Amino acid sequence: MRELRSIGKSAWRKDGIAKVTGAEQYASDVLLPRMWHARVVHSPYAHARIISIDTTAAEAMGAVCLTYDDVPKVRYNERIVSTPPHLYRDRQVLADKARHVGEAVAAVAAPTERAAELAARAIEIEYEVLETIVDPEAAMRPDAEPIHSSVLLGGTELPIDNNVAVNRTIEVGDIESGFARADHIFEREFHTSRIYHAQMETKSVVCRPEADGGITVWPTTQSIHNVRQLLGEIFSIPLHKVNVKRVAIGGTFGSSIQMNSVIPICTALALKARRPVRLVSTREEDIYDHTRYETRIRLKLGVTDDGKLVAGQMEALADIGAHNIQAFALLSVLAGWWVSLYELPAMRFHGTAVYTNKAPSCAMQGFGNPQATFATETLMDEIAEKLELDAIEFKLENYVGLGGTFWGQGPSVQSIVQSDGVPELLRVGSDKIGWQNRPDPGSQTGRYRRGIGMARGFHTSGAGAPKPGEVIDYSGALVKINEDGTVDVVHAMMDHGGGTLDAIAKIVAEELGVPVNCVGISPADTLTTVYDVVTHATRGVYAGGGAALKAARKAKAILLDYAARVLGIEVDALVIEPDEDLCQGVIHCPSVPERSITVGALAKLCQTNSWGSIAAVESLRQVNAPPAYVSYFIEVSVDTETGHIETRRVVVGADCGTVVNPAMAVGQLEGGLSKGTGYALVEDAQWDPETGQLASRGYWVDAKIPSISESPRLENIETYFADTYEPTGPYGAKGVGEAATNPCAAAYANALHNALGIRFRQLPITPELVLAKLRAQAGETLLGGQTAGPASAGSRGT
Amino acid sequence: MLSGFELDLPDTLVGVLDLIADGRGTPAVPLAGGTSLIVDMRARRTMPNAVVWLGKIPELRGIQVTQDHVRLGPCTTVSDILNSDELAGSGVSLVRAAEAFGGQMVRNAATVAGNIACNSPASDLVPPLMALDAEVILESRSGSRTVALDRYFTGYKEDVRRTDELITGISWKRQEESSVDLFHKLARRKGDAITVVGVAVNMAVSDGTCMRARIALGAVAPTVLRAKRAESMLEGETLTPGLIEAAARQATEEASPIDDVRASATYRRHGIQVLTARLLTQAWGRLT
Ligand SMILES: Cc1cc2nc3c(=O)[nH]c(=O)nc-3n(C[C@H](O)[C@H](O)[C@H](O)COP(=O)(O)OP(=O)(O)OC[C@H]3O[C@@H](n4cnc5c(N)ncnc54)[C@H](O)[C@@H]3O)c2cc1C
Repeated sequence: MRELRSIGKSAWRKDGIAKVTGAEQYASDVLLPRMWHARVVHSPYAHARIISIDTTAAEAMGAVCLTYDDVPKVRYNERIVSTPPHLYRDRQVLADKARHVGEAVAAVAAPTERAAELAARAIEIEYEVLETIVDPEAAMRPDAEPIHSSVLLGGTELPIDNNVAVNRTIEVGDIESGFARADHIFEREFHTSRIYHAQMETKSVVCRPEADGGITVWPTTQSIHNVRQLLGEIFSIPLHKVNVKRVAIGGTFGSSIQMNSVIPICTALALKARRPVRLVSTREEDIYDHTRYETRIRLKLGVTDDGKLVAGQMEALADIGAHNIQAFALLSVLAGWWVSLYELPAMRFHGTAVYTNKAPSCAMQGFGNPQATFATETLMDEIAEKLELDAIEFKLENYVGLGGTFWGQGPSVQSIVQSDGVPELLRVGSDKIGWQNRPDPGSQTGRYRRGIGMARGFHTSGAGAPKPGEVIDYSGALVKINEDGTVDVVHAMMDHGGGTLDAIAKIVAEELGVPVNCVGISPADTLTTVYDVVTHATRGVYAGGGAALKAARKAKAILLDYAARVLGIEVDALVIEPDEDLCQGVIHCPSVPERSITVGALAKLCQTNSWGSIAAVESLRQVNAPPAYVSYFIEVSVDTETGHIETRRVVVGADCGTVVNPAMAVGQLEGGLSKGTGYALVEDAQWDPETGQLASRGYWVDAKIPSISESPRLENIETYFADTYEPTGPYGAKGVGEAATNPCAAAYANALHNALGIRFRQLPITPELVLAKLRAQAGETLLGGQTAGPASAGSRGT
Repeated sequence: MLSGFELDLPDTLVGVLDLIADGRGTPAVPLAGGTSLIVDMRARRTMPNAVVWLGKIPELRGIQVTQDHVRLGPCTTVSDILNSDELAGSGVSLVRAAEAFGGQMVRNAATVAGNIACNSPASDLVPPLMALDAEVILESRSGSRTVALDRYFTGYKEDVRRTDELITGISWKRQEESSVDLFHKLARRKGDAITVVGVAVNMAVSDGTCMRARIALGAVAPTVLRAKRAESMLEGETLTPGLIEAAARQATEEASPIDDVRASATYRRHGIQVLTARLLTQAWGRLT
């Protein structure tokens, strides 16, 4: 293979200067003539019927008001990429019944944000408050108040019983005889928490009604095309009149994987007000908009004396909150991630997704994978300990690797693993951390106790498969060569900040043989791009980049045809190589050095001769979804007096195939560590069982995520990449983003076990939990546990 | 989102005192760094009609160290405290509290008077000041008075300050050579997090005897408070590990923590015990 010129080298981000200078345009920066501002009225109750809404006072203030009566009576699901048999629709633009605190029940638009706020406060709403259901087990009791009586599945009405949104059972092999072959059976229960995405940008949108009855929309989103299609459907506007523009997104972690609920509200207001309207969520509103799926997982694994897994069973209860966004898919992936971690000759999965009166759950970095991996990797560590096997050997013996079947995205999304860096990741990682020298679990007695833990995992690269699955997956791109030899890539994909579009530029540059500086990423909107499903499932480079590569190949073929004509050399003898000094690709034939032409000169010639544009548009469905493997080795130190956990060293390795942009890939690993640390140790979203309010009431002050101080020093974070090549990926690349966080929490739990001899099966692992478990281990209770005096008003700060 | 309010920016102390007395018909509320007041207004916990900003009066800000006293102007910011060389020698526990306080932006704006006057049991500057026996100077149009910080708070979000009074200074006696003052805070993360337990200790030792012991506790009762019975167990004594443990345990009895989103009462009690014993041990170790 020829030497790579762009891929594999760290490069500056194309949007870097705009971002650091503040010139970048996000949805909330879009300011239009005649534009008004919107505010939304949210339900203060977790579960309440709306009896009446009086907008008289607000209208008297000059505001345009929107209630349930004004919005199209269309039930929708904000995430439309599930195939129709699995598309559950249970919400409308504004609710007729509040199902969680913060649910949008009315909205206003006014000339200024302040006028809008005052008008919103002037709206009077009468509620009939219903029983609040916060606990998913309680939600399933026969006498529990129904949160939805029925929903639409595809096009048909589906009654909802016991607040169960969906059940799913998946079985492979004979589970009974599987467990019968086991010499040891381990069964444990895990609980993962319901954390907030905490993306930097709050969900925002600007909508402008057009004179022809169409609309132009600038939203916070991960998919402009899905927003377009859903707005077209809700508002009955033909798609050629719905233009959704790509603006930069200020991080997302999955929070805008669907069409955010503010988007149709703003659209309805703009249509009613007949002018552009801007709607920007406050942080407190945003916190009540979406969360990660909270799960309770009962995991059972059967293993033989010599450390071979023979059977597994997982029962999962997922608390989906007030709306079903992708509960069916969540159950599929919980099963899929789990069985793709380790070979299980016989397996059974049963999952139940339950409605509660909490903010709806949606995908968040790893979509079910952090949950499944936390349970599996913690239990695998325990099994290795109990059977006196080395955890690394035990995992290598059982993991799904080269030639194995990977079906992370669920049973219908299966493909064969063709690149596998797991042995290298584990070997290198264990050397770097000093795995062989870690202490014996629970052997230490001093105030500070040190431990090393390890967990591995992966994420899928996209949701492609040989046959259509339960999720739609394909991308498209237009590559055109400009008359000076530069290149425009027109691609609908979003870049969440991880550098996806930069990677796409590199792939195109590499294929065309031009310097990466010559490749520009065009602004994108839905009128001028072909469909891209959404930036999710760690598919940006693998699937989005794959589509760009396909289009670049075709454009290159056209280019070389013309070059052959001009140079008088056979097409197959020509190559294009970047000349950084000229800032051009140069087309030549190595054996005929005197004949060459720059891409720019050739493109100009095509124009002056009126031969036509050199451009190609292509669509690509990847027929594989290769796993991007990641391993974590974490060293912690625990202060046994306070329960505080210090992360001393982290060694994180990734197998993402060819590393397209090393600096950005390292950034993904460090970011994955930070988010994973938050999930494992810090972030703790408690919901008041009576009011259905967040204990933090939506304020950052008590919704803490890790800050830089919680991170180990940079010199104590070591990252590395396995040397692999994915044959189905663009230039051998797979994904990395979500993989980077998935095993993190389990690695912490295993490190804590190593330090303290205590297993943690519940997240987050707070100092308080550590202390309580330490005391239980020592057979004591915490000081004051018995003597706690009468609670008095007290330490609520601020 | 903020509602509307009137904002005055007087450039004299008298101007402020006039406005908070009755102003333009409604008494105005003092605004210093705004890191507490604006947050409360935005959350609609308080909705004053009129607000008066203290930031136009330079004399209200600064650290004065004389022969025997240290005096902080009310508008001295947490960053001022953190960057002060003088305090490093006469109130280092306050510098420790400033280090553990908020994030850089908040430290640049937040003031010491605001930290006291917002009346939060979790105010971080208060335990060290209380352990230093600091006094609060209150001024109004009708005169001025001095109140020991220890007597300033009367209950949860309640204090002795009348609404027409402004805090115009905080002062304490400079510490003798043979004394040590310490502060430590536990929170859900290292920076920019509300205190779960804060403990300040101030100790003077002479000839192997503890002459003065101050233990102030934050975030474990309706107000910051001193563990006076624990203190009196130590004064006049030669400290031993057993006595320190007992005093720390006594301190937990004097607190009345609650369960909240940040920690349980049980954890807080445990935190008082651990931090108090640790700081007393350190102080005693340094002085003997
Ligand atoms: C992100 C964040 C982090 C924070 N972290 C911490 C922390 O770690 N530790 C901590 O203790 N606090 C913290 N706080 C709370 C707050 O910053 C402090 O209490 C701060 O000291 C308040 O001072 P200020 O100058 O901003 O007061 P302001 O908000 O201006 O005023 C607070 C109150 O004091 C009154 N007031 C102000 N000056 C006077 C005066 N001279 N006389 C009489 N009354 C007066 C005001 O009327 C108001 O009622 C934090 C706040 C935020 C937003």
